Amino acid sequence: MRILVCIDDTDNLDSRGTGELASLLAECLESRGWGKADYVTRHQLLVHPDIPYTSHNSAMAFSASIKAAHLSEFIAYAGVFLATESASGSDPGLCVATWPHGEQEQALLNFGRQAKEQVLTKEAAYALARQLEIHLSEHGGTGQGVVGALAGAGLRLGGNDGRLKGQLRFVGADRVLSVRQLLAHPWVDAVTTTSGQELPVTEQVQLVDKVKTALLGGRSILVVEPAPHGCDGQWQNLSRRQMKGY
Amino acid sequence: MFIRDHHGLAVFSGGQEDWERVAHVASSCGRFRADVEEEWVADERLSCYNCRYRRWTAASFACLKA
Repeated sequence: MRILVCIDDTDNLDSRGTGELASLLAECLESRGWGKADYVTRHQLLVHPDIPYTSHNSAMAFSASIKAAHLSEFIAYAGVFLATESASGSDPGLCVATWPHGEQEQALLNFGRQAKEQVLTKEAAYALARQLEIHLSEHGGTGQGVVGALAGAGLRLGGNDGRLKGQLRFVGADRVLSVRQLLAHPWVDAVTTTSGQELPVTEQVQLVDKVKTALLGGRSILVVEPAPHGCDGQWQNLSRRQMKGY
Repeated sequence: MFIRDHHGLAVFSGGQEDWERVAHVASSCGRFRADVEEEWVADERLSCYNCRYRRWTAASFACLKA
């Protein structure tokens, strides 16, 4: 079965980030033979004076294929993991959802979108999770992180929000790769311009700084722009500054 | 450059797109500490926008070390 996993508000000013914990959970799911996890994405939530957050207001999510028999085991493990690994003063939340469809899917999508525009409550999050039969749990502090955890799951489900946690690494030292070479990376589904046009596989892309993809249309997209005159490649990946909006 | 709001937070007056100024501020701050990688938004490592003590507001950020 396919699942969505999202965690939020596990960190403080001095601790590891929520993204690192999400990555560790994903790795654990695989190392214990429970299934296979996809990349982790970061989803920005609404920044508002009425929304308390410890250090960032971004949720970290991943999808995974898991053997049904191991789902409850994974959920139990993730809960203990968050309780023990989350930082002092944080308010961690965990969401694990089997991939929803139909009306359930729409309801989760809506919650994710709403979390980027308005203040949502723990009560609303728990009510929706019960309605959709989604696992939602808190593991310390106020547990306010359940709002972001559920919202992040919805945003990952929607496939049009967020950017890759970490960076893409390619074999070899070449910093100019063809689109064909880029597509060989398991986390690159397409290479497109900023207007969404997919590049021919023969086009050359200069890689600069940290290379990240954005989640667009349900795919992990490497977005590129025309390279400055004099560069080796015709295109280059977006800078960190340019990726801010994803 | 930083203005105290009604919560006592020191909020940067330049908003969220004043890249050069925050790079300059961070380079002379002495308290800069890089945030976790996935929260970086500035191209320059040394930028208030990439600092662990940066706390976003709706229109700018507050510096928790100011």
